[in-house]
Amino acid sequence: MADLVDSMLDLMRRLPPTNVEDNVSALVAMCPDYADDLLGSVDQPLKVMTDRTTGKEFLACDYNRDGESYRSPWSNEYDPPLDDGTIPSPRLRKLEITANEAFDTYREMYYEGGVSSVFLWDLDDGGFAGVVLLKKALNPTSPSEPSGSWDSIHVFEAAERGRQAHYKLTSTIMLHMIDRPSVGVVESAKEKEEKTDVKRAGEINLSGSMTRQTEQDWPLQDQTSHITNTGRMIEEMEIKMRNLLQEVYFGKTRDVVFDLRSLDDLEKARRQRELQKELVGFIKR
Amino acid sequence: METDERIQTAAKFLLQSPPGEINDVLNDVRNIISDDEALQAGAATALREYNLTQFITAEVPGHQHQCIVSEAALVPKQSSTEEGAEGEAEQEQENDDIDRFWDPRSRTSFRFDHLNLEASDPAPIDPDPESEPFRNALETSTLNYLEAHYHSGVSSVFPTQGNTSRYIIQIVANKYNPSNFWSGRWRSEYTIDLAEKTLTGKILVNVHYYEQGNVQLSTTHNISLALPPTITPNPAPASANKVLALIESEETKYQSSLNEAYSEMGEKTFKGLRRALPMTRSKLDWDKVLGYKLGAELSANKGGFAAS
Repeated sequence: MADLVDSMLDLMRRLPPTNVEDNVSALVAMCPDYADDLLGSVDQPLKVMTDRTTGKEFLACDYNRDGESYRSPWSNEYDPPLDDGTIPSPRLRKLEITANEAFDTYREMYYEGGVSSVFLWDLDDGGFAGVVLLKKALNPTSPSEPSGSWDSIHVFEAAERGRQAHYKLTSTIMLHMIDRPSVGVVESAKEKEEKTDVKRAGEINLSGSMTRQTEQDWPLQDQTSHITNTGRMIEEMEIKMRNLLQEVYFGKTRDVVFDLRSLDDLEKARRQRELQKELVGFIKR
Repeated sequence: METDERIQTAAKFLLQSPPGEINDVLNDVRNIISDDEALQAGAATALREYNLTQFITAEVPGHQHQCIVSEAALVPKQSSTEEGAEGEAEQEQENDDIDRFWDPRSRTSFRFDHLNLEASDPAPIDPDPESEPFRNALETSTLNYLEAHYHSGVSSVFPTQGNTSRYIIQIVANKYNPSNFWSGRWRSEYTIDLAEKTLTGKILVNVHYYEQGNVQLSTTHNISLALPPTITPNPAPASANKVLALIESEETKYQSSLNEAYSEMGEKTFKGLRRALPMTRSKLDWDKVLGYKLGAELSANKGGFAAS
């Protein structure tokens, strides 16, 4: 029943992004038969784990999961350990190691911190697919400072066609920000005299995710071309999506708030317009 | 999972519905549960709770304005029995289980269908004569305030049962634009206590943007302040104007602070999470990224050889 999955996905597109983990697990408990469809199509915040062998941090998601264990891109080991966990073919693992190094440089250049992980897997038709994960969290140094987190999930499929490769890329960025501003801490002198007892407290939560897709062909010289090709595609996509996020988060949602309530007195503005009309009429006469 | 549990989960989903999307969420849930009978019974309670907390508005039957259906708008049970006294005894008992809400502005009580959001069965209702003059004055000032600052706002001003010096002002403004994938809701509620000389309130804003994504703004803000001594039950209109001037000042301050929070999150958090471009102000040279790695390894190896 494909439309059941559609309903689940539509539901997840509407319910608050801050509750995505709880809501996905509630849906999975409701319809266990569709767990794989759901977990494979709904992006959830990435979890940071530490590789026990190398001590390096890596990211955990549905793509490096086998049962309850997650594979580290650094040591290729599963945590908790698995003897027969799925691992890429030796050829692909070699590419995966180089890709992890390259995207680690990319992460440092753009994120100046955070964690990255790349996972590749072989496809039945001879090609391969992969996911590039990036995550950064900002923890406030004082309670009045905003906190935030950024999770990028770039899933791609690569198909070699002679000296060309065809790539399908689906990118999701989850961006969460929370602010607890202290409103009007600096009161005017007049206000201080009149009212001594004003308490204000609150929270602003601006959270969500956006997804975009693209398909492109790139020249292929050798296997490492896959890294430069997907690297360029992902970099371009993140630049585009960062602009989009900026527009939606700080432009569109703010505009809706100011569409609901106006800071200026609308009644005064209305009267002024009428007065202006009258004046124009008067001058014309 | 048992049917009961499934319905409970479905109810939780309904309560999280963004502004103006309750029917979409209900359709999804219906398809997932695929047991209309069980859902209908379970969803009714959730829909009622959703409507009351979200300040859903109703067209007042026989009047040209809208009012808010909320907890504060519930007609106390006893008085509804009194009203029904003219009807047959059986019907009266049946009606007793069904909520009635009222619109103090038109002095009308009505039944409300929480699924279709329609008011029906209007009946006149008499307000408490002691609290009505000040309530009425607050209502007039609130409506003026609404005209001045809301593009399409609805408000209701309620007296409180058993306390003639306490009033509740509720304001809601909705904008639904499904063809452009966004919706928004502003709710505010203030309790004015003339005896305690306090004003407590909350402002809640929800915005949903869902074109190829799901982005939501959700804010809470609580206010509590002491009323200046000049606000007294008499003269009611002057005091009511002062109360609304306080509310206007608080809401304007809050909206400005939202603006500041937006720029702070944009300037500090957003930029701090990911740069627009690297420090070098140009995109990565991917050939070099792989080359650099290779170079770094080579020089590390060289260093190793030199040291040995």
